[in-house]
Amino acid sequence: MRRKAIITNPKDNVATALTDLEVGDFVEIEIDKDIISTTLLDSIPLGHKFSIANVKAGSLIMKYGESIGEAIADIRAGQHVHVHNICSTRAGGVAEKSEED
Amino acid sequence: MEFLGYGRPDGTVGVRNHVVVIPAGRCSNELAVTIADAVGGTVPLLHNHGCLLLKPDNERALQTLIGLGCNPNVAAALVVGIGCESLSAYQIGEGIARSKKQVEIVTIKDVGGFQQAVDRGRMAARHMMAQASQMKREPFALSRLSVGVKCGGSSTLSALAGHRSIGWVLDTLLSKGGQAIFTETAEIIGAEHVLARRAINQDVRQRLLEVVDRMERTIKATGVDIRGSQPTPGNIENGLSTLEEKSLGAIVKSGSAPLQGVLEYAERPQGEGLFFMDCSAWTSHLFLGMAAAGAQICFFSLGGGLPATFHSIPGSVWVPIIPTLTVVSDPKAKQELEYFDNYAGKLIEDKESVDQAGSCLFQELIKVSSGKLTKLESGSGYREVMEIYFTGPTI
Repeated sequence: MRRKAIITNPKDNVATALTDLEVGDFVEIEIDKDIISTTLLDSIPLGHKFSIANVKAGSLIMKYGESIGEAIADIRAGQHVHVHNICSTRAGGVAEKSEED
Repeated sequence: MEFLGYGRPDGTVGVRNHVVVIPAGRCSNELAVTIADAVGGTVPLLHNHGCLLLKPDNERALQTLIGLGCNPNVAAALVVGIGCESLSAYQIGEGIARSKKQVEIVTIKDVGGFQQAVDRGRMAARHMMAQASQMKREPFALSRLSVGVKCGGSSTLSALAGHRSIGWVLDTLLSKGGQAIFTETAEIIGAEHVLARRAINQDVRQRLLEVVDRMERTIKATGVDIRGSQPTPGNIENGLSTLEEKSLGAIVKSGSAPLQGVLEYAERPQGEGLFFMDCSAWTSHLFLGMAAAGAQICFFSLGGGLPATFHSIPGSVWVPIIPTLTVVSDPKAKQELEYFDNYAGKLIEDKESVDQAGSCLFQELIKVSSGKLTKLESGSGYREVMEIYFTGPTI
């Protein structure tokens, strides 16, 4: 069966959808012989990311085993992770603390 | 394993056999086109250099235009000009002549008028075409190939599919002694520490970090928020959230080979292996820089978004003398595959392994190197004006 999502590195706290996914989908992802499972709280379009862990605002978002930026809001496992809740820390992209939504 | 190419007097090997018309400056772009249009098969290499640039950019332009004429895919070059340019047609022509290929130079000043230059240029170009048309392909080792790589319309899928496939091809080619160049300095910001670990020595490592730092400082010095420019709106729509994420994905296309050196724009690499070239991420800068550095063939890895899904890549060939293989990653682009050379989306669909995808793309590389036309080469023929990557002011 086609994988629904992929985690690129065991240190990651996000996964990437390999197909359009819906709210409520239960997603199991294999990484390094472990299975990480998450129930989606948002719909996730193909290629977009969702959190696989609860992440506090100000924490690093990890993909490819490296930081891809900071959370600018608290993020729950299963939520869409994108420009509305994470921010770059390079080339002038400042991770600003925002009001909790 | 071999490909069929054209042996050149300087020992390089072309995968194409072009007679080119190179204007000395943008004011003679029209002269170049008029001659090229009159002689079937010749290729005008229009570009953006002109007067009123400062010395560093003039030197860069000279290096780029000479490098372009020396590219192994060029059989012969006609350099044309008005006669008042800041780079003379003679400087460019004499530089190209060091490659021992046939070079002719025609200036309006010398022959007394535009039409006279067209007539003289036409005669020279026809003669070159007659000579070039008799050249034959012969077998050569893959170690004679220099491949350029760029990504565009990137999405998160690029790094999971097309880039992995291209990385596999580069690793394989480099293991056989070939050369590869990748670039887009802003798009390794956030990933430079990962790439730096692959540098063959401390000098290369330091140089890489310097060029990235230089780019980042240039961006910051504007005081403008980079978000909205990098990642692009198209990247964001397709799931890329930050520059770091884009960069960490982008470097996947370089494979896993050690980094041999860091090049300035249009600088020719010495020796085999993988090289990084400092440049913007702008398509028209990049392919030109890589062609001037001697790359005979390029990969263009497309993620998703409108350019992939609706094949809205301009039907142009950015640098007409080097074939560009387009690799598309998004399964949603499947209905447009007739416009692309390779579909890597099977990796997203779980229908193929990286070895299978890479191997298939490698076979395509050999075929295109040996003469098979890419989709862009058999496209509309729309011409872009190539853009040399200038960093100084126009005054």
